[in-house]
Amino acid sequence: MDVAKEKELREAELMVEKNVIVTSIDKVLNWARGHSFWPVTFGLACCAIEMMATGGPRYDIARFGWEVFRASPRQADLMIVAGTCTRKMAPLLRRIYDQMPEPKWVIAMGSCSSSGGPFVDSYSMFGGVDKIVPVDVYIPGCPPRPESLLFGIMQLQQKVANPAKVRLLKHGE
Amino acid sequence: MENKEILRKRVDELAAKVNGDVQEILNTLVLTVKGSYISETLTAAKNFEEVPCDFLHDLTALDLGEQFAVVYQLSSLKGPQTLRVKALISRDTPVIDSVTRIWQGANFLEREAYDMFGIQFKGHPNLKRIYLWEEFEGYPLRKDYETESIEKRSVMLKMRPGE
Repeated sequence: MDVAKEKELREAELMVEKNVIVTSIDKVLNWARGHSFWPVTFGLACCAIEMMATGGPRYDIARFGWEVFRASPRQADLMIVAGTCTRKMAPLLRRIYDQMPEPKWVIAMGSCSSSGGPFVDSYSMFGGVDKIVPVDVYIPGCPPRPESLLFGIMQLQQKVANPAKVRLLKHGE
Repeated sequence: MENKEILRKRVDELAAKVNGDVQEILNTLVLTVKGSYISETLTAAKNFEEVPCDFLHDLTALDLGEQFAVVYQLSSLKGPQTLRVKALISRDTPVIDSVTRIWQGANFLEREAYDMFGIQFKGHPNLKRIYLWEEFEGYPLRKDYETESIEKRSVMLKMRPGE
């Protein structure tokens, strides 16, 4: 999105903020969305093991309210791309993303899905899933520990709860 | 005689028959033959007396520069014997007999070797790419393969019907 368009949106948002009821509902909705992500299981490689560990009782993703890993994209609003996405897998990943209902977010977990990782020079790899889907949060690590994943989702929670602030941070206005 | 000595004897006999070369590398017998003898060699190895090497453990290929080597790892469920057979074929005409008639399980393994090295297996029932997609150009594990630039690779492939 370009900066001029962002500015326009920001002004529109300021106008809307004068309407107390709507913004309050929005705040409640965003708060609720940030506290109840339903991730679609998209484990592709070793990062998926860490994602499973995060879902297990030791790290217990359920205490944040995100525990409902759905097997169907129709019921999910967050895609955690956990692992190496190859060129052959890319169209399928895009289709899963397209099948998710709005609003939806994407987390690129691990260096492979963020940028290609150690396999970036391989014949079967492309440079990160941000080439095919819009990524909200990148989590570095190979693979990232469960704490990193939890922190990453918490960052996404901040982003969802404060859409205006995120936009401000992005463009430094 | 112990298992190993019997195996050594059988392999030596076979090597003399198919004009091969026997080496022992890291406690494993390696029998190197020409590509044209492969069916004969493996049929004989499968039917060794007392020490049959009747299980195709793995099949892969090597790029040795001037020529390719197709490597067959044989073992058995009936004993501790293991044997490695290497078949040398020329780089210009990488054609070798398929062993799917001897072991059905060689089907996918040969398809993988075809996928990565472009080795043509004569008599294979369904020789097409297994890991990579049909439109992929070149054979990526050959030494002279050059990977496409990241810009080209980052373009999303078209989804094929039925996927």
